[in-house]
Amino acid sequence: MPQDIKTHGHREASLQGRNFQPASLQETSEAIDQAFDYRGDVTLTLKDNQVMEGYLFNRDTDQQQVEVFVKGNSTPLTLNYSQIVGIAFTGEDTANGKSWEAWMTKKASERTAEAEQARQAAIARGEL
Amino acid sequence: MAVPLSQMWAVSSYVIKQKLKRNKHYPLVLMLEPLFRCNLSCAGCGKIQYPDHILNKRLTPEQCWAAAEECGAPMVSIPGGEPLIHPEIDKIVEGLIERKKYIYLCTNALLLKRKLDLFKPSKYLTFSVHMDGLKEEHDMAVCRDGTYEIAYEAMKEALKRGFRVTTNTTLFDGANPEHVQKFFDEMMKLNVEGMMLSPGYSYQKAPDQEHFLHRDKTKKLFSEIFKNRKRSWRFNLSPNFIEFLQGKIDYDCTPWGNPTYNIFGWQRPCYLLQEGYVKTFKELIEKTDWSQYGQHSGNAKCRDCMVHCGYEATSVNDTFGSLSGFVRTVKSTIAYS
Repeated sequence: MPQDIKTHGHREASLQGRNFQPASLQETSEAIDQAFDYRGDVTLTLKDNQVMEGYLFNRDTDQQQVEVFVKGNSTPLTLNYSQIVGIAFTGEDTANGKSWEAWMTKKASERTAEAEQARQAAIARGEL
Repeated sequence: MAVPLSQMWAVSSYVIKQKLKRNKHYPLVLMLEPLFRCNLSCAGCGKIQYPDHILNKRLTPEQCWAAAEECGAPMVSIPGGEPLIHPEIDKIVEGLIERKKYIYLCTNALLLKRKLDLFKPSKYLTFSVHMDGLKEEHDMAVCRDGTYEIAYEAMKEALKRGFRVTTNTTLFDGANPEHVQKFFDEMMKLNVEGMMLSPGYSYQKAPDQEHFLHRDKTKKLFSEIFKNRKRSWRFNLSPNFIEFLQGKIDYDCTPWGNPTYNIFGWQRPCYLLQEGYVKTFKELIEKTDWSQYGQHSGNAKCRDCMVHCGYEATSVNDTFGSLSGFVRTVKSTIAYS
């Protein structure tokens, strides 16, 4: 049984490893929508050749802006759509294969091992 | 009594005040997520599916208090992630109590026993413990054996020390009504203050569609659960919401009723859908096109949703919205008391 009511949307196939170089603002907008739904970090290349990796958590289609938590920064960065010339899905897709369905298709021994691994990780972080 | 009179009075007077001010879009419960990190790793949970640097972010106590003040809701629910992981959770709670907010700290209770000393019993503070059923169902739902016993012992200890303790349970397709009833009996035996229930949320793109409840199934399941209800069962729900779950009342969603604030800002439009974030609560209320949400809107994502965070606010609003609503509430209260 799924644990929670907070499940994020399902993706047919993960975008991890994909790299988009939009040729128009429309294509940029489409790639941003994908990045917004993606549960991993993306690497953005800007017009001025700056490259940054972070989590794109917000986009405003009216203002044509995105907000990104760049890795290592505590405050988010706001960028205009027009500044972005490349979006690569470089971080691990943390939602991929994490559905209840996927969990149940695993063998009992695999589930036990994964559960133990998650427990040990929580202990190591001091959270158990 | 499931909820103390002082809390009922605070909520009632707040809602009446909003009605007198003709404020339609008023919040009832602030959903405050101070972190996304959890010490469980439940399959299907979307709240923990973020890169590490996002899971390591925390709202500061000051940010939490500012959100509570900005929003103004009389109740604050603190989900997450697991809020007891937050190193300053005691400070956050203390500040919210100073602001006279009724807090529901939603926890899986794995750390509760160890962290109880950080808190003082108060009418403003309730530990709302995630329990998805009896041992077998619960441990399976959270993907870890032994979790039920730890949570059970922690609740027992919290109750012994005089804390308010409730449970929150999400029911999915395949839930066994008889097992759910036995679970209610067990929680009543433990003497928790009340039980909160909600159907699992189903929307178009959710993974494992077949496990989520669709509207008709939800009504059927809850009708079966409440068919032979016992008078001893206490719920931390408005009686009209229980009627709604059984299909006896038709409500539409109040998506602004439980606004959500987290490290990304104010979440649009509701706790379950993540369509973006805004910087202020005012912006959330004023710039969201609310007509696009709720089952009557035709939005496919809302079609099967009958979740507590959307409909409890509707039932509370119904109570104070008209004489017929008030009478309906009185009748349901008698039926479930």
